[in-house]
Amino acid sequence: MKDYAVIGKRVPIHDAALKVTGQYKFTDDLKLPGMLYAQVLFSPVPHARIKSIDTSAAEALPGVRAVATYKNSPRVKYNSTTRLYTQKWIENECIFDDTVRFVGDRVAAVAADTLEIAKKAVRLIKVEYEELPYYTDPLEAMAEDAYPIHGDSNIAGKIYQNAGDVEKGFAEADYIFEDTYTTPAVHHGAIETHSAIAHFDARGKLTVISANQNTFGTRVVLSRIFGLPLSRIRVINPGMGGAFGGKLEVTIEPIVAQLARMTGRPVKLTYNRRETMISTRTRHAAIITLKTGVKKDGTIVAQDFKVITNTGAYAGSAMNVVGAMSGKVYKVYKIPNLRFTGYPVYTNTPCAGAMRGYGSPQAFFAQQCQLQKIAKALNMDFAELQLKNMVDPDGVDQRTGKPIGNPRPKDCLRRALELQKNWEPLSDEGGKYSIGVGMALGCHGSSTFDAHLDQACIMIKMNEDSSCIMFTGTHEMGQAAITAQLQVVSEVLKLPLDMIDVVCGDTDLCGWNVGDFSSRGIYVTLYAVEKAAEAAKAALLRVAAIMLEEDVSSLELSESHVYSKVNGKKVERYRVMDYAQQVLNEDIICTANHHATMAPGSYGVHIARVRIENSTGKVEVTDYIAVQDVGKVINRLGAEGQIEGSVHMGIGYALCEKLEFDAMGKAKNSSFRKYKMLQAAEMPRLQIDFIEEYEPTGPFGAKSKAECAVVAVAPAVINAICNALDMEIKDLPYEYNRK
Amino acid sequence: MEKITFRLNHNDVEVQVERNWTLLYVLREILNLTSVKPGCHTGDCGACKVIIEGEAVNSCLVRAVNVQGKSIETVEGLSLNGKLHPLQQAFIDCGAVQCGYCTPGMLMSAKALLDKNPSPTEEEIKEAIGNNYCRCTGYYKIVEAIRQAAEMMREVKGE
Repeated sequence: MKDYAVIGKRVPIHDAALKVTGQYKFTDDLKLPGMLYAQVLFSPVPHARIKSIDTSAAEALPGVRAVATYKNSPRVKYNSTTRLYTQKWIENECIFDDTVRFVGDRVAAVAADTLEIAKKAVRLIKVEYEELPYYTDPLEAMAEDAYPIHGDSNIAGKIYQNAGDVEKGFAEADYIFEDTYTTPAVHHGAIETHSAIAHFDARGKLTVISANQNTFGTRVVLSRIFGLPLSRIRVINPGMGGAFGGKLEVTIEPIVAQLARMTGRPVKLTYNRRETMISTRTRHAAIITLKTGVKKDGTIVAQDFKVITNTGAYAGSAMNVVGAMSGKVYKVYKIPNLRFTGYPVYTNTPCAGAMRGYGSPQAFFAQQCQLQKIAKALNMDFAELQLKNMVDPDGVDQRTGKPIGNPRPKDCLRRALELQKNWEPLSDEGGKYSIGVGMALGCHGSSTFDAHLDQACIMIKMNEDSSCIMFTGTHEMGQAAITAQLQVVSEVLKLPLDMIDVVCGDTDLCGWNVGDFSSRGIYVTLYAVEKAAEAAKAALLRVAAIMLEEDVSSLELSESHVYSKVNGKKVERYRVMDYAQQVLNEDIICTANHHATMAPGSYGVHIARVRIENSTGKVEVTDYIAVQDVGKVINRLGAEGQIEGSVHMGIGYALCEKLEFDAMGKAKNSSFRKYKMLQAAEMPRLQIDFIEEYEPTGPFGAKSKAECAVVAVAPAVINAICNALDMEIKDLPYEYNRK
Repeated sequence: MEKITFRLNHNDVEVQVERNWTLLYVLREILNLTSVKPGCHTGDCGACKVIIEGEAVNSCLVRAVNVQGKSIETVEGLSLNGKLHPLQQAFIDCGAVQCGYCTPGMLMSAKALLDKNPSPTEEEIKEAIGNNYCRCTGYYKIVEAIRQAAEMMREVKGE
């Protein structure tokens, strides 16, 4: 394999020095002169028409500058996860509506001189509600005679995918298994809550600073709401304190924009933890009925997924998440007959949206748990059943017969089994503990190609000393995507990292970029970076060729010079830049675009070992192995970090994380006091490895990893518990439900 | 409003506060020390941890009036004369920083630990950050960074 200077090395995240000194400024850390503070009034009822709303007492409170409700705000309906200017997805959400659809829906917002005044003012708003029928259970909501939350049905849509003939496949099967699995709504748990600042200036330009993973899409939504050309909207992401999909969708940006428009002053709104948990987005709860037909030898001949997701009160990612889920199941096994039917359903509960894995964690939890059960029933080693059915590197999507990249789940599995040999024996301490080991396969895609255009534009601006600035639409949230981009510029332009800096996450300054989700940062944007860096290199060599009177093809870059590979003639890089400036009268600025032409699968095989205290039933994950097929590791430190964080999130999903609602859809555990995530002492001993077998369509052979890594975790842990206790578990999270 | 004085990052400060203001609010909003991060306001995430008289404490649970006369450290006071504290350097080198939002609180918990216990075991490190949530790292590289920093600090001391 090619030897690189910085690609594949351990590079700390580029902005780490700012983050360890407190100099890194997140949205809520910012204050603008004259800035007002906002608070939102949330609905206390699950479904109601607003009969009357009286804001006079709030408006009369000294220091209150504006009170926004449905009566004085644009009622333009939008879809919160929109990306493209011409895209029209189901649009049924607006800033404020005359109807509230869940406990925690937005009713009104106040902008005031201080946060205290804003809080007081919100409590002075009087609302009378005319209550409507409501549903918290998607099965009730989807009944034909149910009162519709939108339009004429609570079924937001149907996703149907098919390969082969499932009924024929079941007829050929020796055994058929059918089980129903459920997964809960969960909270993303980014430690930074949602925050945004907006300003509408005298030229009519709206600037929104927001912790948001989708600045260009947010700009489109704001343009529709406020009727502004994109030149009059600037969305800036200053960096996010974690996001995990929870900051993909438009949530609070239109509120601050409206308050800024009403007041002519900058307005900041920061949700607290409870508000973020309830009134932004969650991961879709799902009910998955899975029917699988197998031969006696373990060959899977047919599989039928029937999925119902609870998408909450508004469309948002309703169709996208189930759509993404439907595609992923065609990337893992050689199942000739595979059908997927999915229904996202509206209920009067908080909106579900994007979250790390985007549909895959739900589908693979069901599939991997059922497959282990099948292996047991066939008296077959689970690894053997996996290997018999997993796709090979030349595997295809059964629906289309088209390649799915260079899939390496088998390599992951074999490597994971090797790593398992490193485990120390674990004692049951004389019957005090039950011990179990579980395995699971996870898969996710790379890019939004399967759903819509996936494209990025990168600009590199060379300075006189031959250092450079990269302009990228990438959104920084700790994923180290920008660090990888700087590594690529460094590699191609042979510049040390301190000779490169970055401008990012700003719709006015950066080239268009879909947004940072869909595991596309490495696979798509990094490719655009490579192309832009190659273009900058070509520009340097072109100027040097004139200076040296050499053919451009004979020239190469070193850290300090451009030199001829033929005769050793050379010129310092800064002199090349000087020549471009003073003789050719040129500034060297290069842009490059890249768009995805497929969405290769990434894979992970994970093995978990659990120890369960028999007297209490308490589960401890003691050991963990995660092997990920990533094509090529760009930054080993960052890649490990993504897997480690995924293991944290996935074990929480398996054991303890669940947003729970009462009969009215009011959250029972909307605080970190009650919603438990794993602490340091609860993490297992962990071994990580990567399969680097090169994805031909990815930059330097790389494909996605950061979402894929979470997919296998919960089923691996649950399978381990099932083995330890010789039981079946069909509902997440195990520990939470047990109590 | 009442006037309080306390020691903040090696300097004396004087500030007018309301009785119900939290230390978190005063540090962030009045004194502009934005390393102190809000995450939950219930003392459960550790993002707002500062060191008060040697102990790492959630500043969202402390009334500002109660720090009268006390000594408080935040991350802004961690590096001296532009040189990073060994903990800060180790957090960078080990990849303990991803999004960075929990980082200041983690650094405070870690510093309070190492000030008292220069050679902590892995269990002691995990216990010291047991009230600090991190959603990005699974804590692995944070634990490693604290261990490495402790080692660096012992070497400097010539132990």
